[in-house]
Amino acid sequence: MEAFSPAFAVSCTERDTGARALRQTDVLNRFLMGIERRALRYAEIAVRDRDEALDLVQVAMIKLAQNYANRPEAEWAPLFYRILQNGIRDFHRRQAVRNRVMVWLGRGRDAEDSYDPIAQAEDRAGRSPEEIVETGEAMQSLEDAMARLPGRQREAFMLRTFEGLDVAGTATAMGCSEGSVKTHYSRAVHSLRDTLGEHWQ
Amino acid sequence: MNDANKALEERAKRLFDESVDGLDAATLSRLNQARQKALEASTRRAPSFARWAPIGGLATAAAVALLLIQSPTTIDAPIDAGAVEFELLLSEDSLDMLEDLEFYEWIDLADDGGGDSVG
Repeated sequence: MEAFSPAFAVSCTERDTGARALRQTDVLNRFLMGIERRALRYAEIAVRDRDEALDLVQVAMIKLAQNYANRPEAEWAPLFYRILQNGIRDFHRRQAVRNRVMVWLGRGRDAEDSYDPIAQAEDRAGRSPEEIVETGEAMQSLEDAMARLPGRQREAFMLRTFEGLDVAGTATAMGCSEGSVKTHYSRAVHSLRDTLGEHWQ
Repeated sequence: MNDANKALEERAKRLFDESVDGLDAATLSRLNQARQKALEASTRRAPSFARWAPIGGLATAAAVALLLIQSPTTIDAPIDAGAVEFELLLSEDSLDMLEDLEFYEWIDLADDGGGDSVG
């Protein structure tokens, strides 16, 4: 029988801890890689600015990695969207203050600042320019209609429809009850149908 | 859920997916950089005990140092009999006594058997 060596045990423990950390980093990397594009578009639709959206996504990634990496992987998506959603709300609050100040100073927003998704889009699916324009216009109409929704309805619609979160996950991401999610979602769908009209579908 | 709602959700989902697929290379590169920063932040995160251990050690050392500095004035130590004698000897009166030490020795000898010698 081999004699027990404390040094060997410590070495093994350290190696296990290091291997576990590496494995966790790898799993987190794959999770973020899988979610980052959709998260960017989600944020971009919410704030209507790509640079701001990129900043918000980066902050959400860092906060998730720093504070919730030890949580079960299944909880990451709702937690990530909750962090992102909080960032989006903060952004809108800052914008509201900024707009009030700009109105008070008598300055409006420059036309060249307005976001044009068609101009930024790069097609990979080999569609014709007409199809691209049609798709771009349809998406633009959807974004405009969503921009007119109350914030909570927009969140519920985007999380459920775009991100595919279930009711419980959406409730976690929004920080509200499952009943509220169902109500917000139902109202959002009806509002969008009324705004976009039957021909859009 | 009725068919009209279902159709709207499917169209919206499809458009969103297409817009995700259409992201340009520069944006994807920036997303990659953002992800690397996040992963770097996660590996920098130290366990809570290791993070607070140096601060706790410093606080303990400071407390001990404070105790040692203040102990002569604040702590009532038991008074040693020898220390009392030493203190008496160092007082001003005692120094006078030391000057007359030969006188006190003579009195001492006189007490021991001086009666015989005097008388």
